[in-house]
Amino acid sequence: MTLRSCSRDAEVRRLLELGHWPQSCTPELRAHVERCKACGDLVLVTMAFRRARAETMNAVQLPPPGILWWRAQLRRRNAAVERIHKPIVGAQIFAFAVTLVITVGFLAWQVRDGWNWMKWLASLAQSQVFHWEVLWPFASAKSAAGFLSLVPALALLALASGVVLYLGSEKHNS
Amino acid sequence: MLWESILPKAIAGEGASADAADLRMDSDAFAGFYERSARSLWAYLTRVSGDPALADDLMQESYVRFLSAARPPSLEDGEVASRRYLFRIATNLLRDHWRRPHPASLEDLPEEFFAARCDVAQNDSVAMLIPAMARMKPRERQLLWLAHAEGYSHQEIAEVTGLGSASIRLLLFRARRKIARLLREPASSGRLRSMGRLP
Repeated sequence: MTLRSCSRDAEVRRLLELGHWPQSCTPELRAHVERCKACGDLVLVTMAFRRARAETMNAVQLPPPGILWWRAQLRRRNAAVERIHKPIVGAQIFAFAVTLVITVGFLAWQVRDGWNWMKWLASLAQSQVFHWEVLWPFASAKSAAGFLSLVPALALLALASGVVLYLGSEKHNS
Repeated sequence: MLWESILPKAIAGEGASADAADLRMDSDAFAGFYERSARSLWAYLTRVSGDPALADDLMQESYVRFLSAARPPSLEDGEVASRRYLFRIATNLLRDHWRRPHPASLEDLPEEFFAARCDVAQNDSVAMLIPAMARMKPRERQLLWLAHAEGYSHQEIAEVTGLGSASIRLLLFRARRKIARLLREPASSGRLRSMGRLP
């Protein structure tokens, strides 16, 4: 398809844009439009669309702008709330991960001690000499150090659990 | 609570400077802009989609998106830029609508269906355009409406539709030739003569 524009295309366009067609155009230009297919198409299509636009614009019942304004405000507010919640959700995930790591570490530590204790019980059954003092696990200095490290670990676990529950309840309430 | 004090700032600024927030439209300025632009936007959506009910929905959504956009044209840019931005939103909404799966494509709809839903046609000039528009592709309808009803330049049409400005001229030329041929068909030639458009 060849794209050929007429030399009088700009003149016809200007008259159409100004709304002066066909009143203000010369008879010579009008005769040209009747002969020239490109200009004829331009006039035909532009006039049809302009009239359709004018009629369609008169047919609409517009909703009040206030409704749209407040809908937009509400949407912006919701978007802002969502943006603010993103770091809170991140903090909740981080707190949950920390709690999970501490819990797993604590359980692993306790399982290891329990395993040692089970081994000790097994060796006790085969032992010839029974030592009563070893029944109390914190009697030795090593066990006392283990007990001292257990207390802050439990406190930290309780604190982290509290934070997780608090953040979880905040999200639920909001 | 902390976020309650942060929230108003986040809504007003949205990460931009306070000056940019001040240049946003207030409700009165928006009401004026809406009165001046809504009818032409609705006409565009109705004629391109062929569905006045859909045009109602998309027009409202266009204004809500316009107002809640992170970086809308400021008051300094002028109403022409705001109008162009609004038409761009509406064009994207139309495109999204057409991309969504539908029980029947707009292209597959019979002409009678299209004409029946466009009950805003009052006289011959619109009545003869409706069947011709129904036989055009959605993009052709958009280009023709923006160029010939809204009077946009090729550059402005490129901004609204997202097409390259170099290709607009050719696409528009083809679309105009096609719809002119449809308007000149024997069925509508009688109406055209009565309007004085044909010799």
